[in-house]
Amino acid sequence: MAADPAADEPITAVIVDDHAAIAAGVRSWCAQAVPPIEVIDAGDRLADVWTDSGADAHVVIFDLELVPGRPDFGELRRLVDSGRRVVVYSQHADDVTVIKCIDLGALAYLTKREGSDHLVPAIRAAARGEPYTTPSLSGALISDDAPGRPRLSQRETEVLRAWFASSSKQLVAAKLNITVKTVDTYISRVRVKYANVGRPARTKSELVGRALDDGLITLAELNQTVTPL
Amino acid sequence: MSDAVEVRTLEQLRRGLRIATLLVAVAIVFGLGLSAMLRRLDVYEPALAQVAAFAVLGAVLAAEFVLLVRRRSWGAPRLAVIAVVLAASALSYATLPDGRTSTAVDWIFGAANWVGVVVLLDRPLRSSAVFLLAHEFTALVHLLVFDEPSREALARFATGSVSVVGFPLCVAVVATILHGLSAAAAASHRQIEEARVAEAVAAESHRRRQRRFAELSATTIPLLKGLADGSLRPEDPAVQRRCAIEAARMRRLFAEADTVQNPLLHELRHCADVADRKGVTVELDARGQWPAPPLAVRRDLTEAVLTTLATADSRARVTVVGSADLVSVSVVADCGEVDLPSPAAPGVQVETLKTDDMVWMEARWQPTRQLMNR
Repeated sequence: MAADPAADEPITAVIVDDHAAIAAGVRSWCAQAVPPIEVIDAGDRLADVWTDSGADAHVVIFDLELVPGRPDFGELRRLVDSGRRVVVYSQHADDVTVIKCIDLGALAYLTKREGSDHLVPAIRAAARGEPYTTPSLSGALISDDAPGRPRLSQRETEVLRAWFASSSKQLVAAKLNITVKTVDTYISRVRVKYANVGRPARTKSELVGRALDDGLITLAELNQTVTPL
Repeated sequence: MSDAVEVRTLEQLRRGLRIATLLVAVAIVFGLGLSAMLRRLDVYEPALAQVAAFAVLGAVLAAEFVLLVRRRSWGAPRLAVIAVVLAASALSYATLPDGRTSTAVDWIFGAANWVGVVVLLDRPLRSSAVFLLAHEFTALVHLLVFDEPSREALARFATGSVSVVGFPLCVAVVATILHGLSAAAAASHRQIEEARVAEAVAAESHRRRQRRFAELSATTIPLLKGLADGSLRPEDPAVQRRCAIEAARMRRLFAEADTVQNPLLHELRHCADVADRKGVTVELDARGQWPAPPLAVRRDLTEAVLTTLATADSRARVTVVGSADLVSVSVVADCGEVDLPSPAAPGVQVETLKTDDMVWMEARWQPTRQLMNR
C-alpha cells in the first residue's frame, strides 16, 4: 500500500498507458526532474499495477481511456479504494468525466497536453497525498453546475478562473495582487471542499482531515454546499 | 402585389359560387321540392318516408350553411353525407306511387341532385358526376321496375334528366375550373415569393460584402498600398506584425459570415489558426455556456486575441469562460509590446497584464440585456 516516501527515498510511479511513446515521454520527464522520479512502465497491463514493483509504487499514473471512448471508472475506484494515490492522465475529456475522477478520489487530473508542465509536480504532490489542480481541472471546477456541489467563495472562483486562463500561478498572483502561496491556498481550499462531498474515499478524507488540522479551512466553510433547486 | 390580389380574387369567386350554389339548392329544395311534396302528401305510401327524406336534405343544407359561415369544408364525413343523400333519394323512390317517376309528385328527382352538388362542390368534377349518375340511376330503376316504360314516360324522364343532371353538372364544371385556376395562381404566387426572398438575400449579402470591404479598407488597403509603393519594407518587423494582424483580421472577417453554433469560438479558432501557421503553439480551451454575443461585441472580444497572437513568439493560451451574465476571453502569450484599440461595443472591458516575458489580455463582456432582466 502507498505510504509517504521517506525523505531521501526517490519517488516511484507506475504508469498504465497503452501508448509506448507516452510512457517513454513520461519516463524522460521524470528522469530529468530534480530529484528524479523512478517510473515503472506497466504498458496496458493493469495487473502490473497490483503486483511486484508496481504494487509498491507511490503513485499510479492512470490512462483513463485504455479503451478509447470508454473511461474505466471501475478500475480507478478499485485503485483509490485500496489506498493508491492516482494521477489520471487522459486525452481531453469532458467536464463531467473530470469531476467524476475527482469525486472518485483521484488526486490529480491532467490532459495529455498538460503533461510537460504539470505531470512532475502532480506526481510529487500525489506522492505526499496532496491534490494537484491543473488548469483543465480548474476549468471543469468553475463550470461545474451539478446539484450538491460545494459552495465556492467569489475569490476562490476568481483564482480558479485566472488559473484556468493563464496556466501560470505567477500571472494569477500578479493579476489578483496576491502572493503565489495565497493562490495555492485558494486552489487547495477548493479541492478540500470537493473532497468533502460525494463518494467517500480515503484519499479524500485524509485531505479534509489535514486541511482542518492545518486551519486551511473551517468546518463551517466546508459544509456549505449549493443546495439543489 | 397583383399576384396576391389574383389569389384573393379567385378565393372570393370560389366562395361566391359556393354561396350561390347553396342558395339555388335551398330555393329548389324548400321552394319547389317542399311545395310539390306537400301538395299531394296523400298519394305517398307512407307520407312519413317522404318527410324523412326531406328532413335529411334540409339537415345537409343547414350543415353546409354552418360550414360556409365558419369557412370550413366538409372534410372526412363527406362520403357518409353523400351516402345519406343517396339513401334519402332511394327512400323517397321506394315510397313513390307507381308510374309517377319524374312527374310533379317526384319532388326529390330535382332536389337531391342539388344537395349532392353542394356537398361535392370543392371536389374534382368526377365526384359530382358519379353522384349525379347514381341519383339518376335510382330514378331510372324506379321508372323501369314500377312504371310501364312507355315512350311518353321515357321522353318525360329524358327531358327531366337534362335539368336534373345538366344544370348541377354545369355548376360543378365551373367550380372545378375555378379550383384549378386558384391552385395555379397560388403556385405562381409562391414562386414569385421565393424569387423575391432570393433577391432580398442576394441584396443583403451584397450589402454585407461591401461593408466588409469598407472595413478592410481602413487598415488593410493602406498596408497593401505601402507595400506596393515601397514606403513600407517587408523586412521591417513592425510591417510584418501589421501583416500578421491584417491576415488574422481577414480570416476573422471570412469566419464571421459562417453560420455556426458558437460564432465566438469559431472566430477564435480561425484567429488561432493564423498564429498556428506562423509556428506559434496555440492552446484553445473553452468552458461554460454563454449567449451568442452580437458581431460588434465579438470583434472586441477577439481583437485582443488576434493582436496578441499575431505578435506572439512561440506559444499562446486562449481561453473562454462563459456564463449567462459574463463572457471572458483571455489570451496569454509570450509577446512584446501590444497596442490595442480600445473596445467600441458597450459592455466590453479589456484588461492587460504585462510581465517580463508574458502578456495576458482579458476581454470581458457583460450582456446588458441579461442585466436589465434582473
